[in-house]
Amino acid sequence: MESNNNLPDKNGFFGEYGGKFVPETLMYALEELENTYNKLKDNNEFKKQFYKDLSEFVGRPSPLYFAERLTKHYGSGSIWLKREDLNHTGAHKINNTIGQILLAKYMGKKRIIAETGAGQHGVATATVAARLGLECHIYMGAEDVQRQSLNVYRIKLLGAQVHSVDSGSATLKDALNEALRDWVTNVDDTYYIIGSVTGPHPYPMIVRDFNSVVGEELIEQSKESFNTMPDAIVACVGGGSNAMGAFYPFININQTRLIGVEAAGNGLQTGEHAAPLNDGSPGVLHGALSYLMQDEAGQVKATKSVSAGLDYPGVGPEHSWLKDSGRAEYVAVDDDEALEAFHQVSELEGIIPALETAHAFAYLETLMKEFDDQSNIIVNVSGRGDKDINTVAEIDGIKI
Amino acid sequence: MNRLTKKLSKIKSNDKKALVGYLVAGDPDIETTVELMKLFSSSGVDIIEIGVPFTDPIAEGPIIQKAHDRALKKDISLVSIFQMIEKYREFDDVTPLVLMGYLNTFIYHKKLIENNQNNAVDSILVVDIPGELKLEDYGVKSNNINTISLISPTTKKDRVKLIAENSTGFVYYVTLRGVTGSSNLNIDEIKINIEEIKRHASVPTLAGFGIKSIEDAKLLADCSDGIIIGSSLVQMIEQGSEKKEFDRIGKYITEIKKAIS
Ligand SMILES: Cc1ncc(COP(=O)(O)O)c(C=O)c1O
Repeated sequence: MESNNNLPDKNGFFGEYGGKFVPETLMYALEELENTYNKLKDNNEFKKQFYKDLSEFVGRPSPLYFAERLTKHYGSGSIWLKREDLNHTGAHKINNTIGQILLAKYMGKKRIIAETGAGQHGVATATVAARLGLECHIYMGAEDVQRQSLNVYRIKLLGAQVHSVDSGSATLKDALNEALRDWVTNVDDTYYIIGSVTGPHPYPMIVRDFNSVVGEELIEQSKESFNTMPDAIVACVGGGSNAMGAFYPFININQTRLIGVEAAGNGLQTGEHAAPLNDGSPGVLHGALSYLMQDEAGQVKATKSVSAGLDYPGVGPEHSWLKDSGRAEYVAVDDDEALEAFHQVSELEGIIPALETAHAFAYLETLMKEFDDQSNIIVNVSGRGDKDINTVAEIDGIKI
Repeated sequence: MNRLTKKLSKIKSNDKKALVGYLVAGDPDIETTVELMKLFSSSGVDIIEIGVPFTDPIAEGPIIQKAHDRALKKDISLVSIFQMIEKYREFDDVTPLVLMGYLNTFIYHKKLIENNQNNAVDSILVVDIPGELKLEDYGVKSNNINTISLISPTTKKDRVKLIAENSTGFVYYVTLRGVTGSSNLNIDEIKINIEEIKRHASVPTLAGFGIKSIEDAKLLADCSDGIIIGSSLVQMIEQGSEKKEFDRIGKYITEIKKAIS
């Protein structure tokens, strides 16, 4: 939880992006959260507990693994995999929930709420709530309830309630709307564990810091594995938490290119995608000013992606800042490319990646042409693909 | 003088309470909204609050959310809303009109707001901007438009002062922790908080969010300068839309008006 730049500023802005654009009722709750976090983040007891839980409950550090056959396949630089898929519950999302549940506990909150898209954040939240015996409610778009049914059942097994959200496009953004409405209503006793580096300040900062353990480990592991810093880190970007966690400790390490991969859905040129950094403009959604997919009336556009976790019209404000400042690059791959990578990585490496993660892998097709043999490229394997088996089977025309 | 400021000071000097009625522009369609606005003002609504539909209205309960969705299906935007208001102004040039909505749509249409053709709109209320911030810092401003900020039961004292001082139309006290259309009014808490606001505000303080019954209306009017009714009206609009039967709405407004006078 080191600080590598002074952002966000005291009002929660990364350059012009971020802020706290929420209904008045939540302003106090955000201030309370910010004060608590600022008090605890450098507290030794708190840090000890956080790292102990990450080690003993999550199984950190996650390995940095040399992907031999994938490397051979491309025939240029070495490809390394940061194995967040091996974490307890199967994705990077648990890093954040482990940290935030400690904040909730410290604040004496009795009730935990969260939104989820792919269901990974829902599972990770229900998991930490179960561990502390706290009441837990997960909001999930009706469409995602269907395509991520396995995770819905996991959340229920963990003792949490799943609320299917029918409003709007019935996906992640609508689940977030509903979670915010719950929070406005139950603000006194409820802690909202937001699942990505999105939402109003201080969430983008808190979620980034808790996920930064990934980048911190990568610095050490890179030295051990190849004696220098990587030439590039590639990560998929939905709200942007796995990418931000991997990127943040590298912001001042200029030899490392930071590459975020968004979901191009049916293709960027069709307009049917979920790639605000590639094809959006600044706007306000869910409490923050950031790149956003919106129409000419300032209404938020519906998104399209085969991956529920990337199917979101906004993105964390720090990514908007990294894009404009040029420190990170943002590209997009479409559904077909991601599905191809999903199969390829499964067959070449014995690792079935999440569909979200498959987007990062798919970009290697373009990226590896830019590197020579001496290069080291890290892919952040944000999660495993068990949850996506039904979706992929259906696309492949297979009945399970 | 701005119609809203004029109206509120007249109500105050007559020792009366203001009644604000809310509807969503374009629900069920623009023509009907104009008719409903006429009905509102002829039945006793002093100020009309026009909801600007948005895809992600996070402060609204299910009743008003659905109204936003219905309006969006008709492609209602601030462009059509300004045209609608122009039409309405041909009939009524005195009732203050307030636009209520979410920051993103206002930022997108700042030119329209700056122009504010014939000063048709009197005030803007943006739900998702902290009340101590100035809308003009986001490019949303116009000479004859004032702004309304929200204060809620969870607003801390230091911010109550800042927000009250920043409100140029009126202060909107959100009477409960929740979204529009919820219940659970805590009258004692409301009274204390409104008193605190009035110590700092140079403009009137109105109360809204959970008002359903005549009884609620009376209790809240007693401790404020006026009340805002939203979800109840929007629900009646929804129920009456198919047959365009809105008589109930006029009666309801008249009753409320009588109760708070
Ligand atoms: C495995 C996995 N990767 C990535 C994401 C996208 O989120 P973020 O961009 O915040 O990392 C999700 C979200 O559900 C996920 O489950």
